[in-house]
Amino acid sequence: MAEVCSPLRIPLIAGHKKAATVTEDVCRPMLRPPSGLWWAGFTLAFSLMLLGVAAVSYQIATGVGTWGLNTTVGWAFDITNFVFWVGIGHAGTLISAILFLFRQKWRTSVNRSAEAMTLFAVMCAGIFPVIHTGRPWLAYWLFPYPNFRGPLWINFRSPLAWDCFAISTYFLISATFWYVGLIPDLATIRDRLAGESARPTLRQRLFAVFSLGWSGSYRVWHHYEVLYLLLAGLATPLVISVHTIVSWDFATAVIPGWHATIFPPYFVAGAIFSGIGMVLTLMIVARKVMNLEDYITLRHVDAMCKLLLLTSSIVALAYGTEFFTAFYSGNPYEQFVFRNRALGPFAWAYWIMVSCNVLAPQLLWFRGVRRRIGIVFALSLLINVGMWFERFVIIVTSLHRDFLPSSWASYRPTIVEVSTLAGSFGLFFTCFLIFCRILPVIAMGEVKAVLHVGQASRPVQETTV
Amino acid sequence: METQYWRSLAERENPSELARAAEAEFSENPLQQIEPGSSRRGFLKAAGFAFAGAALTGCSRAPVEKAMPYLVQPENTVAGRAQYYASTCGACPAGCGLLAKVRDGRPIKLEGNPDQAISGGATCAVGQASILGLYDSLRLKQPLAGGKPSTWAEVDREILARLRADGAVRYLSGTITSPTKQAAIDRFLGQFRNARHVMYDALSASAILDAHQQTHGARVLPHYRFDKAGAIASFDADFLGTWISPVEFARDYSARRRPPEMSWHAQFEGRMSLTGSKADRRVRTAPDEIRERLAQLAIRIAKLSGADDRFLSSASARGWQTTNDDGLPHVAERLWEARGRSLVVCGANAVHTQVLVNYINHLLGNYGATLDVEHPSRQRQGDDRALANLLDEIKTGRVAALFIDGVNPVAELPEAPGFDHVGLVVSFAGSLDESAERAHYVCPDHHFLESWAGAEPVAGLISLTQPVIRPLGATRAVVETLAAWTGQPVNAYDLLRQRYPAQWDRAVEAGYVAMEAPRAPVKPFSMAPVELALAATSPEPAAGYTLALYPSVAMLEGRQAYNPWLHELPDPITKVTWDNYASVSPAAATSLGVSDGDVVRIEAGAAVELPVVVQPGQHDRVIAVALGYGRKASERFANLGPRWIDHRPSVNDQGRVGENAAPLLAFEQGSLRYDRAGIRIAKTGRRIELALTQTHHTLTVPQQLGGEVRPIVQETTTAELGKPPEPSEQREELWPEDHPYKGHRWGMAVDLNACTGCSACVVACQVENNTPVVGKDEVRRRREMHWIRIDRYYSGPSENVEVAHQPMMCQQCDHAPCETVCPTLATVHSDEGLNQQIYNRCVGTRYCANNCPYKTRRFNWFNYPREDRLANLVLNPDVTVRTRGVMEKCTFCVQRIQEAKIEAKVLGTPVKDGDIRTACEQACPAGAIVFGDLNDPNSRVARLARDARQYRVLEDLNVGPAVRYLKIVRDGGQAGRPVPQGDKKNG
Repeated sequence: MAEVCSPLRIPLIAGHKKAATVTEDVCRPMLRPPSGLWWAGFTLAFSLMLLGVAAVSYQIATGVGTWGLNTTVGWAFDITNFVFWVGIGHAGTLISAILFLFRQKWRTSVNRSAEAMTLFAVMCAGIFPVIHTGRPWLAYWLFPYPNFRGPLWINFRSPLAWDCFAISTYFLISATFWYVGLIPDLATIRDRLAGESARPTLRQRLFAVFSLGWSGSYRVWHHYEVLYLLLAGLATPLVISVHTIVSWDFATAVIPGWHATIFPPYFVAGAIFSGIGMVLTLMIVARKVMNLEDYITLRHVDAMCKLLLLTSSIVALAYGTEFFTAFYSGNPYEQFVFRNRALGPFAWAYWIMVSCNVLAPQLLWFRGVRRRIGIVFALSLLINVGMWFERFVIIVTSLHRDFLPSSWASYRPTIVEVSTLAGSFGLFFTCFLIFCRILPVIAMGEVKAVLHVGQASRPVQETTV
Repeated sequence: METQYWRSLAERENPSELARAAEAEFSENPLQQIEPGSSRRGFLKAAGFAFAGAALTGCSRAPVEKAMPYLVQPENTVAGRAQYYASTCGACPAGCGLLAKVRDGRPIKLEGNPDQAISGGATCAVGQASILGLYDSLRLKQPLAGGKPSTWAEVDREILARLRADGAVRYLSGTITSPTKQAAIDRFLGQFRNARHVMYDALSASAILDAHQQTHGARVLPHYRFDKAGAIASFDADFLGTWISPVEFARDYSARRRPPEMSWHAQFEGRMSLTGSKADRRVRTAPDEIRERLAQLAIRIAKLSGADDRFLSSASARGWQTTNDDGLPHVAERLWEARGRSLVVCGANAVHTQVLVNYINHLLGNYGATLDVEHPSRQRQGDDRALANLLDEIKTGRVAALFIDGVNPVAELPEAPGFDHVGLVVSFAGSLDESAERAHYVCPDHHFLESWAGAEPVAGLISLTQPVIRPLGATRAVVETLAAWTGQPVNAYDLLRQRYPAQWDRAVEAGYVAMEAPRAPVKPFSMAPVELALAATSPEPAAGYTLALYPSVAMLEGRQAYNPWLHELPDPITKVTWDNYASVSPAAATSLGVSDGDVVRIEAGAAVELPVVVQPGQHDRVIAVALGYGRKASERFANLGPRWIDHRPSVNDQGRVGENAAPLLAFEQGSLRYDRAGIRIAKTGRRIELALTQTHHTLTVPQQLGGEVRPIVQETTTAELGKPPEPSEQREELWPEDHPYKGHRWGMAVDLNACTGCSACVVACQVENNTPVVGKDEVRRRREMHWIRIDRYYSGPSENVEVAHQPMMCQQCDHAPCETVCPTLATVHSDEGLNQQIYNRCVGTRYCANNCPYKTRRFNWFNYPREDRLANLVLNPDVTVRTRGVMEKCTFCVQRIQEAKIEAKVLGTPVKDGDIRTACEQACPAGAIVFGDLNDPNSRVARLARDARQYRVLEDLNVGPAVRYLKIVRDGGQAGRPVPQGDKKNG
């Protein structure tokens, strides 16, 4: 690729790396036994996951009644978690597809792990629609499959049916995209493992199989680049569509607080916001623990903070617009829902949401803040909390007081629900930690292509493996 | 020779090897690959054997069920077809006629007998629920001797051996309306020299009878005719809820309150009763003020009548002055205007008070019109004075043998009688209640659905009870037991048939027979007791907290404490389930420093600790507590409801539901008093989380959240009735016209003005549709399963609150929001306008319930236990029992619709209006619910859908509900007579 190399550019990758050093740095954690810190993290995450498994098993064996739901509030933690995780899953595709199309070279350091995060987040998300049903063993009825019941099809008017398509499509495309991006790196590792032993180990064989006979020839690279570009083009609309469709779960309902045309853009912005928040959380930890400071530099953090600031502003605008729409609609039910959000029994949740998603990110206007890792980390955690509460507020405050005051009720989660939420985090981090151990967390091939950016004094590196 | 072609050089070089390889390429016989040497035949053998083995092991667990055809098919018995038998309800002495629905030999539903005068086709919640008592697995299955199972022969022998002719024999029973049974008791007691039959009612009306003894010379309970009453003043009589004969009264009352001609009703009461909630004018009056108010009213009416100077002069001599501040002038005027067709009733069990009531009714000329004393009611015959004497005899050891029939004195009376000094105590209780537990012998009576009996609830009306099932245990009717002890064994059927030989067949078929009853020996009205009553009444205002003990709509006196349906039935006013409580006014709550759920200790002789419910509209000095709770029968609910880690039991620390408030009752001047002045009440610091089905009580949203009033319940006034309705806004329809409803289009109309909130529909629906009981904990979590609920909303200031009852069930919307969102098409629209729920297609996403604006959908959060095999016999076989994880809701009783349609098809006639009556409509005493075909312009529901009062809830959403509501009509005065302004404020 022809590159514009300006000596004024700040390097994307610090530390004057050579291609070989990159390979060395990225592969190092994979080729040596895990550290104590990794084990500690893994134990914690795995324990949480087991807690979640226990909670879900108990719930499936006993009934959805083990959650704190009631006749009035039919969804709470379950769908909150679902939307939260789907939202988290947005950053990966955004970074890998949209930023790729926009030629944002800085994405190369983070796209691999962001995409992995996307997959794990969508896996976590996918659990909730299944377990939230009263009869999870029949949840496959949400898919249109050939059957002998008439044949009986699903209701194509139901947003839940659309969800099934949206989420499964998203998962498939994201997984494909991630895997295709991995192929050159898998081949690198295959080659590095080659001399290890006389008989090929299982690991060697797996890498050999999954690198699909990658030879690193120009022809292969060419095919690869074209495919990657096409997949990026294919994945881009999904970034918009998935959360748009998820938002229709609410927007097509008659319940005030749900029934709003603003939901699709509002949800997409929120999803990207929360996704980048989660990427930051993970990256800040990873660069520290895995000594990747040269690859994930302050510049990356800064760029992502700017994205956070943008999406936070969109989300803030949406919060304001919702109130304005309610006021302007003249619909008393609609107006009530929003007053109730800000002043009702769940006002605390609403104000947590506003503080975390709107007020706290305002600090990011300052360059100094954006480049102070500790503060950014704290903010990214707050954004994760805030975005979880955003979904909780939308779902629970709209349901708990709808049209007939006789049916107004409250909601309080049970230990089973809290454990399930904790379990989903456990699953997410377990997967992520395993990923860190067995696959390259940084796209070596892509990073090597941008090594020279801002380093014009050096000769342009070859981008072969 | 054939030419050999070769495919490759290798083949030419070494043809044999390659030929083998080429063979092998197409020899992928999988069976051969499994195991060398095994054949296809061998595989099939092995597979067959394994398959058969698997199938056999699978079969071994199936229970063996024998289905045997009738050898001789009984006449008129068609499997799967219900039969109805006329009978009489035995749940209380009111004696409502019933039609018991029997399917395949087991009764599954009780419905009112439309031809019988007391029921008129309706029932109350308790009557509806009483069928569960038949299948109560804790009912006694044989007699007990000393607490041990015994046989009838043995028990008979032992009891006869212990009965001596000279000992004092006392027969303690509730009101006995059955002439046959009365005769049997008389015959039995006739054997003894010193024998007496004492009747008492746990919900006593003894003072009414005693007052009539004084004023009319006959101890009778008038037959109240609310259907003839144009103006009603009720003083603490909850005649729509629990007083004497609520089904009859509610029906008659509602009949007179159909706009535009509406009766006028004033209620003076301390607590908020169901009746008070329907009153045009409600005046908060503490129980200890009632007599004074009645005296005031008597003076006013005496003045208006201008007849009785003697009474007025004695009143003024005693310092009575008429005041204008209590709403009485207006009430007196309305009553006087409607004289001869007005009615004053009073629930206070105090003779002087009732004498004043009689006097007012006498002045108004209501005797013979709205009160019939010549053909009196027999629904309450208890005599408190006789009861007090008996208790005294028991205490002093002067009773040799005590027979207890149909009452539970140990739990119902202020002081549990000690049986230590009684030589022989025999109970006829069907289950081991508190009294039966202490009896020497228990001779269990049948359930009323197993027995032959007659009842005479009102003079001249004989209502028959016929068995609809063979007795489930070795129980014996009391009349048969008594006959056995009299030495002339006879069965109940013969006894009954001998009594009414002429009309027998007709009576059994109809369920009742009207007979000429002798006129009660009533004398002309006597003034003397009135003077005495006035003398005993102080015009001074009372002070301090007053306790009002009342029967709750579900529990009454407590004999229903075994019944989970009734425990889970929300109280029509407070919406509390599974508990009794102390209700206090908001002002009293503030001064006591308590709020909902705070436990208070109430001391009035005895003491009980109960959670507080803050009740708007209650008198500030009144603490109201429901009787009938804390019974032994409720111990069975210890394990009720789904069991999981966070489950809490439905019973309290004592293992029972609620607290028994009977120890707070007292005998005063020979009457059982339900109100106690001068009680002490104190906060204990404990809290109980009550199980409410409604926690927001008004249609006004909280002030800081907007404070607007939602038009869910709409009202109009008597003054506005005649005016034409405002034309409704025509809006463009965006929905396609894809539901033409060519045949039927089912709809419903609910008259909010008629609905009294009695909740009979709620239980009727539960019985009809196999709705599970979920227990206190689940209700607390707001997961009750009732398909129909009655929303209750308060409006106005808390001291002068107005109440609206709104039955709410699935609205069967035309554009149902639930239907579009279900991903599996488990809820779909029928071409007759029904919103159908297909249980086995439902995976339970709950999206439909979230999207329901009326929140009428119910989710099976658990597999609600149905472990009691006997109780399961009450299930309606026409309605699926739902499993865990499935949504359910009101179906408009689709099984009844189908049944009627099939019936019509067989007969080749169209379905007639009224052929289909949903369970709620069928049970409603007020006739507030009407179901029918909206496509039939002459159907009742179509006519109501055109009524000026009709509206639809949340019509603006354009979901197109199929349920029409008719606005409540408030007393807004009539043309030329506005409501007095000063009147509205006080009370």
